[in-house]
Amino acid sequence: MLVSWRYRDRKSLIQWFDPRAWLIFYGCFLATTLFFWDVRFLAPLALLSLFVLITSGVTWAEMRRAFLFIIGFVFFFAILTFLTGRGGVEVYEKEHLVRKFTAPFTILGWRPTLKITVERLFFAASQFVRVFSIAIMTILIPYTLNPALYGVTFKGLGLPDKIAYAMDLTMRFIPTFGRDFQLTMDAQKARGYELEKIEGGLIAQVRKLGPIIVPVTIHAIIGSEDIIDAMDLRAFGVGPRTWLQELHYQTKDRILIGFGVFMLVAAVVILFLGYGDFWVPEALIQSLAK
Amino acid sequence: MDKRLQSILWTLIAVLVVFLLLIYVGGNVFGVERLQTGENPVLRFVFVIIGLLLTFLVYYLTKENEAWQVGTREVVWMAIGAALYAVFSWLFNGTVFVVPSLSQVSLRPAIAIPMFFGYAFGPVVGFFSGAVGNMFGDALTGFGLSPQWSLGNGLVGFVAGMAVLYKNKKKSMNSALWISGVLSAVAVVLFFLNRNMENMMFFAPEEGIFGDATISMFAGISIIVGFLLVLIVRFAFNENIDIAAAVSWSMLGNIVGIGFAAISDIWINGFSPEAAIVGEFLPAAGPNLIFAAILVPLLVAAYDAVQTQSGR
Repeated sequence: MLVSWRYRDRKSLIQWFDPRAWLIFYGCFLATTLFFWDVRFLAPLALLSLFVLITSGVTWAEMRRAFLFIIGFVFFFAILTFLTGRGGVEVYEKEHLVRKFTAPFTILGWRPTLKITVERLFFAASQFVRVFSIAIMTILIPYTLNPALYGVTFKGLGLPDKIAYAMDLTMRFIPTFGRDFQLTMDAQKARGYELEKIEGGLIAQVRKLGPIIVPVTIHAIIGSEDIIDAMDLRAFGVGPRTWLQELHYQTKDRILIGFGVFMLVAAVVILFLGYGDFWVPEALIQSLAK
Repeated sequence: MDKRLQSILWTLIAVLVVFLLLIYVGGNVFGVERLQTGENPVLRFVFVIIGLLLTFLVYYLTKENEAWQVGTREVVWMAIGAALYAVFSWLFNGTVFVVPSLSQVSLRPAIAIPMFFGYAFGPVVGFFSGAVGNMFGDALTGFGLSPQWSLGNGLVGFVAGMAVLYKNKKKSMNSALWISGVLSAVAVVLFFLNRNMENMMFFAPEEGIFGDATISMFAGISIIVGFLLVLIVRFAFNENIDIAAAVSWSMLGNIVGIGFAAISDIWINGFSPEAAIVGEFLPAAGPNLIFAAILVPLLVAAYDAVQTQSGR
């Protein structure tokens, strides 16, 4: 049995547009966000994504789990970046120290020290804004893209029939396999399987994953026979494919695509002019740094 | 080559030229730093296209082979492989255990999926499972996009699937085994050379950065551990050619795919070659190999049983 994403027909900004137009816009948004490290440019993008989120009509109850997971994830990475300085090293050269903590103990001759610098603080903040806006735009897609239109959307974006159909099936299978995974995990736990229990060497630990990965995979492959038969019976792949529902661009969709492309081009121009790199306000350095 | 493929090929080349021009003109002539080194979003796409051209080349050289036929079964298997890979990498991403390394490369037992799908169902299915699965997996975690890593994962499945392109299974399997052996040995030698030169290491403990030497040690030799495991599996299952070939080709796929992504980071993220190999390739490819050596044989054996039972 297939489990589906929580799509329903909503009166919302995203669903007002053609799904192809929205995906193109999403691609432009993603690329634009990735170009920048400067909070001054990232903030409007984050506001845009928040605006889309608020007008999406997806209720909190529907998206709570996904949302909390992603917030946790984003926080985890921002804090990790902050603690380790990872990633930031490439972006800034000078650091202004605010405080330095040194652990009173050593691990194998290595003394853990934590340096809080203005740059690290601000870098973690920038990264938070950046990942947050991308994450919001991404999780909204399964909620707002009509499953009946997956195939024709990918086809409309220029993919060949078979690849478009494979993408369609992929999107449909993901929630189903997520459910299967959970079922298998519960069934194995009922038999006394313990994934969380950490014991044994690396190899023993990897082998522990077998009782989950193998049944889920093999079950999926066996189950695919029915889908293959159903598709073959409907003469899949014999001639050029037609789709039950067709998509037509309207003026609003062209405007959205135009806006997305404009955003991207503007971003490239801004980069060429030499802006958009990591930025720390001077005032902050002067007030915080010793 | 038929017309359609020709047009795809020319489009790829045209896009590549446009991107390269953008980097050359923007980066070198106008001196825009973001287009030269550091985290470079434009170059990511250049490497995606280079990778696609490589797969195209393999296809072109062997285009008579049946392995390139894509029918209903392949379409469904592609979707299953990609969806499973996405779900597994999402669920195991950081929830099982994480080894700190460069660029958020984490332990991914899910890598066995594109390897198995590539080996069992051919290079096209393997490529799709790896590339699209990684893309959706990243999207599920709501985490940016690194198309060069998606493509690298696609190559893992693609190379694993190249097993079917050779008539002599045993001979090709052994060459795959020894090529990967040599490549892993080179990477490990680089690791030991750079262990002594501390300035080459990206994570300096003095700066209070978490990635410390002990973990690098494990990560550094993990590829050898993985290689030995593959060797053990290869010779333990000397009779069962399927399992032996599956692990050998998966290993080569892992090294080529992850190697491609890591090496492209030399230009994309501006790492030094040592940082890319030691800091990124080894901590990603080594653990992958251990997962491959253990999980791929399990999957192949289970699938064999299903095939015998159902007679397909």
